[in-house]
Amino acid sequence: MPSATIGDPLGHKAFPIVLGGLMILLGLAIFIKPEKDLESSPLKKTFVSVLILAGLLGGYGYSIQSLGYPLGTFLFLFITSRLIGERSWIFGLLLSAVLSLGIFSLFTKILDIPLPLGIIQRVIG
Amino acid sequence: MTVILSHLIYGFGIVFTPINILYAFIGCLVGTLIGVLPGIGPAGGMALLIPLTYGKEPSSAIILLAGIYYGAMYGGSTTSILLNVPGEAASVVTCLDGYQMARKGLAGPALAISAIGSFIAGTIGIILLMLIGPPMAQAALKFGPAETFALMVFGLSMVTSLSGRSLRKGLVSMTLGLMLATVGVDLPTGLIRFTFGIPKLMEGFDIIVVAIGLFAVSEILISTEELQVGEYVREKVSQIWLSMKDFTESIGAIIRGTFLGFFIGVLPGAAHVTASFLSYALEKKFSKNPERFGHGEIRGVAAPESANNSAACGALIPLLTLGLPASAVTAVLYGALLMVGVRPSPFLFQKHPDVVWGLIASMYIGNLMLLILNLPLIRIWVKILSTPPRWLFPIVLAISFIGVFSVNNSPLDLILATILGILGYFMRKFDYPLVPVILGLVLGDLMEQALRQTLMISGGSLEIFLRSPIAITLFILAGVVMVAPKIIYRGKEKLETES
Repeated sequence: MPSATIGDPLGHKAFPIVLGGLMILLGLAIFIKPEKDLESSPLKKTFVSVLILAGLLGGYGYSIQSLGYPLGTFLFLFITSRLIGERSWIFGLLLSAVLSLGIFSLFTKILDIPLPLGIIQRVIG
Repeated sequence: MTVILSHLIYGFGIVFTPINILYAFIGCLVGTLIGVLPGIGPAGGMALLIPLTYGKEPSSAIILLAGIYYGAMYGGSTTSILLNVPGEAASVVTCLDGYQMARKGLAGPALAISAIGSFIAGTIGIILLMLIGPPMAQAALKFGPAETFALMVFGLSMVTSLSGRSLRKGLVSMTLGLMLATVGVDLPTGLIRFTFGIPKLMEGFDIIVVAIGLFAVSEILISTEELQVGEYVREKVSQIWLSMKDFTESIGAIIRGTFLGFFIGVLPGAAHVTASFLSYALEKKFSKNPERFGHGEIRGVAAPESANNSAACGALIPLLTLGLPASAVTAVLYGALLMVGVRPSPFLFQKHPDVVWGLIASMYIGNLMLLILNLPLIRIWVKILSTPPRWLFPIVLAISFIGVFSVNNSPLDLILATILGILGYFMRKFDYPLVPVILGLVLGDLMEQALRQTLMISGGSLEIFLRSPIAITLFILAGVVMVAPKIIYRGKEKLETES
């Protein structure tokens, strides 16, 4: 970073440097003397399912512009609810469709918050 | 006193026209909706709806906007309590105990105490605004950058020392939050820091994105995991209304939160966030059973919700008496006043009494309306919780994502929220508290600016802090709260081993 400190004795570097130093000290403190009476809950085997859900969520976020909110949300709701326990295909599809369209129109039509339409936009015109 | 009373009656005369009551009602309704939905926040919501005020009388326009303001403050807690999705930075603390209450089947009382606390705080806040507004504004001017910096240091150390079981881990969380705050354009110099070449990061991390990622997303990740192994517990709704015992238990917290919130609200900066965080920390500190906080303690909901609302009243003081907007929300109000042809200045009370007293009177009405509007809604909100988790979790994520997306219309924010969700998941697993991260992020920028301004004034000498009694006191208090819990804890242990 270049320095520009005209009339600014502290400048833009000092604060981050102090924070970095503090973080290093704290890291050392925890490393040298780990918490004795505090048990960190061990990672369970189900961590895989957490990763899958996080992956889905990231994919949903990534594709929201291209797929559009209604379609992306439909897919996300359907896949996620199935993964965590919904058994019926038809019910899952139906509810995902109703919810994604419902939430979409609530925000875009009633609250005037713009959300991307994505592919649907191109199909419609 | 009689002068104030006659002014107030004059104010009520302005508000009590059918059209202004209608505006107050619309404002409260829209505001509640904005508050309930995560992401938009009071300032953003008001800015979005300014066009609604075109061509209206100045007093009507302000009544409408002010209604949106307190409506949003009321509604902000709803999703925090029900779903652990903080609607705005100030309601992050409400998540802590509010969401735990909801999981214990006590969502109703939690929502009720937050509405009642907000009502009491709002009412007392308005009275304080009328009675001691002008002298408070003068006193607030004594709060220079040095004092502001000291107050923020105190707030951070207070909150950090009380959240989580380990001070060191709390400090790591706090530092992380402060570090996140340094990302983006450095305001005084215009230099870009820590963006790693990603243009989007130039604006820095948005608080809503971080709060929803750390709280809501990580909560769903953990709950899903618990669901998989059959450990997910959500007790049936056992109680919809507040019991008398709940009320008597929390009234003290409400009053304390109200006064603290009001006085902090007058100060510039992220006052209502600091107010709600600090009031929670103080309530925990002086509680006879602090171990109940974080596990569904009703006072942990009552105090920050009250502080939050009275801080909103306090924040109006600099605007009305000095013509200075000290927060994002009052800056929007300032803009709106200009647009209807009223120039905020120290002479606002004399030049436009209809606007000022109309506003104050509308606050009484708005508060009452919100209470009446919100209490019946509780029944409906609580029903949401009977949705089976396999649907509730994805829906919460889909709605949270709208909140995140609406901040900047950027898919990158969604990915950021996911990453922060994973970070939050690990932090919780390893007992790192999340609250100091949020407060660090909110205060980091303001704190750095305050420190740099202080040193600009003094020409680089730290002596300036020693010349301010307020700053010294706050620094000493900050040191005391950092060290005190440890000493008390050791003392207790000693007593226990001796007995």
